[in-house]
Amino acid sequence: MASPAIHAIELSKRYRAVVALAGLSMTVARGEVFGFLGPNGAGKTTAVKLLLGLARPTGGEAMVLGAPAGDLQTRRQIGYLPELFRFQSWLTAREVLFLHCKLMRLGRQSWAVQADEALHVVGLDGRGDDKVGTFSKGMQQRLGLGVALLGEPALVVLDEPTSALDPVGRHHVRVIIRELRDRGTTVFLNTHLLEEAEHVCDRVTIISKGRSLATGTLAELKVRRPSARLRVTGLPGGWWRRLASFGRWTEETGEGDWLLVEEMAAGRVPELVAAIVALGGRVEAVIPEQQSLEESFLKLLGEA
Amino acid sequence: MNVVPERRRMSAVPETRKMSPVLTIASLTVREAVRRRLVAAFAVISVVLVGASGWAFYKLSHGGAFTSGETNLALPQAVVLFMFMFSFVVALSASAVGSLAVSGEIDSGVLQTVVARPVRRSEVMLGKWLGLAGLLGGYTAIVSGLQLAVVYWASGFVPPDPAAAAALVFAEGVVLLTLVLLLSTRLSALAAGVIGIALFGLAWLAGVGGTLATAFNIHALHTASEISQYLLPTDGLWQGAIYYLEPSSFVTQQLAGSPVGQGDPFLALAAPSWQFLAWAGIWLLLVLALGLVSFERREL
Repeated sequence: MASPAIHAIELSKRYRAVVALAGLSMTVARGEVFGFLGPNGAGKTTAVKLLLGLARPTGGEAMVLGAPAGDLQTRRQIGYLPELFRFQSWLTAREVLFLHCKLMRLGRQSWAVQADEALHVVGLDGRGDDKVGTFSKGMQQRLGLGVALLGEPALVVLDEPTSALDPVGRHHVRVIIRELRDRGTTVFLNTHLLEEAEHVCDRVTIISKGRSLATGTLAELKVRRPSARLRVTGLPGGWWRRLASFGRWTEETGEGDWLLVEEMAAGRVPELVAAIVALGGRVEAVIPEQQSLEESFLKLLGEA
Repeated sequence: MNVVPERRRMSAVPETRKMSPVLTIASLTVREAVRRRLVAAFAVISVVLVGASGWAFYKLSHGGAFTSGETNLALPQAVVLFMFMFSFVVALSASAVGSLAVSGEIDSGVLQTVVARPVRRSEVMLGKWLGLAGLLGGYTAIVSGLQLAVVYWASGFVPPDPAAAAALVFAEGVVLLTLVLLLSTRLSALAAGVIGIALFGLAWLAGVGGTLATAFNIHALHTASEISQYLLPTDGLWQGAIYYLEPSSFVTQQLAGSPVGQGDPFLALAAPSWQFLAWAGIWLLLVLALGLVSFERREL
């Protein structure tokens, strides 16, 4: 049986008096998309650096793809997108990709194909010969993702991969992550965005103040999905059976005809509105309640 | 349609002749200097300076203001002064580029993407050292060659051993580069660069102090100067370069012409000893090794 993609036991890191990571234990199976969720300063990036051998732990140990964290040969199978990074501004995007092909010791004949594919995957077709210095922050992040995907790595570590991207870019990254999972690549996604984790992660660990609070699927962690409040008139009788697939419905008593739908998958509000209209209902107002997810998360952090 | 291409069989990715990571980083370092117009800037400045020196040397030899004896004394001194200026440029450049090469790239985040690859950090740093040393070597060789060719054209003067002099100026630059690279594995780029230049200046000053100490028989100062040459061999190497630029007849005349002639900081009475050169080599290797270990252990 293949070793887990990542196995950490009591991994700790202390910078003099500051405890950045206080005994992290977790196992990431091969082929899963694992979310590493936590607020800023929780110790997420420290954990990533320890797993990649960029920093040394002050306690505990970690195995990555069956080898001790930081093992040189194992790095050939790991793609890494750092949170804060910059490529050589005086190189073109293609030259950056070639440089990393070289550093990964890939055969020269494959560089052009690898680079073209990477540029295509991250939506930088036609920009390969432009200097990186002319790229926006978002484009640099896309290129960083392309670099992380070179050589078909078995494990891709993404540290806040969408921090500089617009909504279209974020969606694109999620599509890429799902496709990586489909082809069996393990993805370790470091993020403070719950929505991002919810969209793509099979399991997550929630980390705060250097400690893991909980690990499991979002459902297991009782993190509620986003809901929406709607003011609707003119719905025919038995409407809730026809709209049950959207989530759990509650009629709110009080002023107006407000309905609350909970546990609804993200991004389904337009579809829901269309379905209501198709039933003959009139949608007077829609208030998406994205906060519920964050509230659950904050509650979990607050209990720590 | 899939965005991410299907995983290729590994056999479809042929592995051919692979460049060592050291050479990859070294060539990247040289390419950066070319792309960022560092090489072009140095080329323009050097050509202007060498051109101006050609005019000065021509006037010195053909101006008629000096007797031939005076000209014979002035030419070696002028050559040493110009080479001193170029050695200073080499040292200043070594400090500037060396300080940015490690610390600057850590701060900007460029190195984070490189060291996560299957390369040793020591290979990355050795590559940078090699690339920068190559640039310094190329610059020293070209500018020394040009300068001495112009001097020959303008005055007919040829120093006793120009190649040895240029090699020692290059060695001086590489010594400082190695020290600054070591410093930049732990300090900020600014601090590493400033400390490098300050130590270079102090070593030169200690060398001047040693020359004066010899002239005036101040033993303690002489000893301090000798120790400083072993702590940082830049000035000792520069003194060696001076020796190979000045004909022995010039040295004899200088000593005869002035009771304190040997107090002249631009006069070298003896070739650098092999012990000193061997120590400079060992010093370089030790400091380089220390830099490699320091960067290997640095947390990013």
